[in-house]
Amino acid sequence: MSEAGADRRGAGGTVFLRFLARPEAPALIFLVVLVAAFTLANERFLQVGNLESILTSVAVLGVIALAVNQVILCGEIDISTGSMLGLCAVTSGAVATSAGGLFLPLLAGVAVGALAGAVNGLLVTLGRIPSIIVTLGMLYALRGVILLVTGGTWITGIPNDTRVLGTGRVLGLGYPVIVLLLLFVVMEIVSRHSTWGRNVFAVGGNRRAARFAGLPIDRVRFLAFVLVGVFVGIASVVYLGRAGSVQTNTGAGLELQVVAAVVIGGTSISGGRGSSLAALTGAVLIGVILNGLVLLGVPGIWQDAVLGGLILLAVTTDVVRRRLVGDRA
Amino acid sequence: MSAATAALKRLKFSREAVLLGVLISLVVVMTLLDPLFLSPTTLLNTSRFFVEVGLMALGMTLIIITGGIDLSVGSNLGLVSVAVGFSYAAGLPLPLAILFGLVVGVAAGFFNSVFITFLDLHPLVVTLGTFALFQGLAYGLSNADAVSDFPPWFAYFGQAYLGPVPGQLIIFVVAVAVVWIILSRTSFGRYVYAIGNNEEAARFSGVPIRRVKIALYSGIGLLVAVAAVIYTSRVYTARGDTGLGLELDVISAVVLGGASIYGGSGTIGGTVLGVLIIATLRNGLILAGVPSTWQLFILGVLLLVAVFLNEFFRKGEE
Repeated sequence: MSEAGADRRGAGGTVFLRFLARPEAPALIFLVVLVAAFTLANERFLQVGNLESILTSVAVLGVIALAVNQVILCGEIDISTGSMLGLCAVTSGAVATSAGGLFLPLLAGVAVGALAGAVNGLLVTLGRIPSIIVTLGMLYALRGVILLVTGGTWITGIPNDTRVLGTGRVLGLGYPVIVLLLLFVVMEIVSRHSTWGRNVFAVGGNRRAARFAGLPIDRVRFLAFVLVGVFVGIASVVYLGRAGSVQTNTGAGLELQVVAAVVIGGTSISGGRGSSLAALTGAVLIGVILNGLVLLGVPGIWQDAVLGGLILLAVTTDVVRRRLVGDRA
Repeated sequence: MSAATAALKRLKFSREAVLLGVLISLVVVMTLLDPLFLSPTTLLNTSRFFVEVGLMALGMTLIIITGGIDLSVGSNLGLVSVAVGFSYAAGLPLPLAILFGLVVGVAAGFFNSVFITFLDLHPLVVTLGTFALFQGLAYGLSNADAVSDFPPWFAYFGQAYLGPVPGQLIIFVVAVAVVWIILSRTSFGRYVYAIGNNEEAARFSGVPIRRVKIALYSGIGLLVAVAAVIYTSRVYTARGDTGLGLELDVISAVVLGGASIYGGSGTIGGTVLGVLIIATLRNGLILAGVPSTWQLFILGVLLLVAVFLNEFFRKGEE
């Protein structure tokens, strides 16, 4: 089951019914309600400045969620992104301090990310190890590599011409927001119109059927893991720009937020059903909730509990929705 | 290459024998690094540090045999530690506080099992969620603070010795015996293997799958809680980040011990050897002055290699 089935169901109905059948509909409705509630509580919430700052704060999370979304659509999972972001940021940071500019650090970050993603992909496809174990192992192994490479010291003094992806503005919008929206559009197009994008849904929806149809299941999944690495590499330069320095614990715990964003947004954790808009919605929703917690004066130490609760809520909603619709996919 | 692979796959071997060989060679290497390592005192002392991981690994073995997993054990350990410490600090007598901790641990495991059985969700997703939830609750409820003004007798659980033998080693040996009997000598144990081999077939054969899973996840909650009390007593401090990352040690020990991550196979003997190997390795790395950061890396790689070899040889056996 994917968008095709949803579209058919809504074909005779109104635009609204068709919208309700989309995977990200519950999250979008929840987002609108939440924004309305926060606006009533504090009228400054809806100001352009605050909305942009929320988008900026979830740019790194959103970019990575867009890629992990594809992995989850394949029926796999990647929980190594936190350490991967740290490793990419350390690499691009080191290149930035020695070479400067935007291109070289970006290239270095993307290359290291793609390499780490390729290791994940190879272990999952050729090694036949479940992706949760592979990426759990990599989560720790990569964190070890970071500490090894840096020796535990911070990277500071990132030059301003590298930081442009985090601090620059064009047409009244910050670069982090532009990068996020641009990659979102790219992923929507790839997802709808490229062979690989369609194969991802097929592999996640029914792997046996996809195999019998002659789809290159291993290559589809491998590329999804590499894509995560590439997007983490891009995100690392945005991070570098916003933070201006790299600590050894950079990205710690981010993997949870990423998975939370994807499943809260409405992509099914069992694969085959979801969209890039779901990943983006989920990321923004997390940003709004964290921003709202601050507005409501909830201490930051409760963040993990809220995130965990949201993941459970999202997957439970998914099950209940599937049972109501009678879709046992 | 392919001939060599085929020869390797034909190689008949007992996994336990190989693991024992690895353990012995590790001990030899450690003894060469530090002659004091092989003395009974050092070995018994070492045992103080693997009991917590070992207790959780016993429960994890059964869960992995059913094809499930529990990523929340480390967070649950922190939550129980906070429950014990802060209910005591709030005025509850310590025995009741410990009892409360055990209840919290079992309740957390039961909470997992409700999502897994009644909603039919994959344990991986559920426990990833509760991993964050329990951790967050432990931080939030403790206000990221610590309690360490326990009465002296609390040290009994994690620091006492019976003669030369650390107290918790006895608890561990008893737990190993109990779980071994459950797994290999009871119908419950047969159900565990049946679910892991083919859940659908087990369902049609009348195995009470729901009840078995509820018992397993609540049971590991109890083991986690016992481990948490021992851990808290050993370090004499209750805090929310206790147990952070321990799930890696636990899962590594179980898969190193030969349990298939796809379910259906695994033994308590293998898991105990896995626990001992990881403990020796960790202890040896500390003795050798290897920084803890390397240990993360080595453990992560070890986990991957162990799973890979497991599946490689399993295909050969079939």
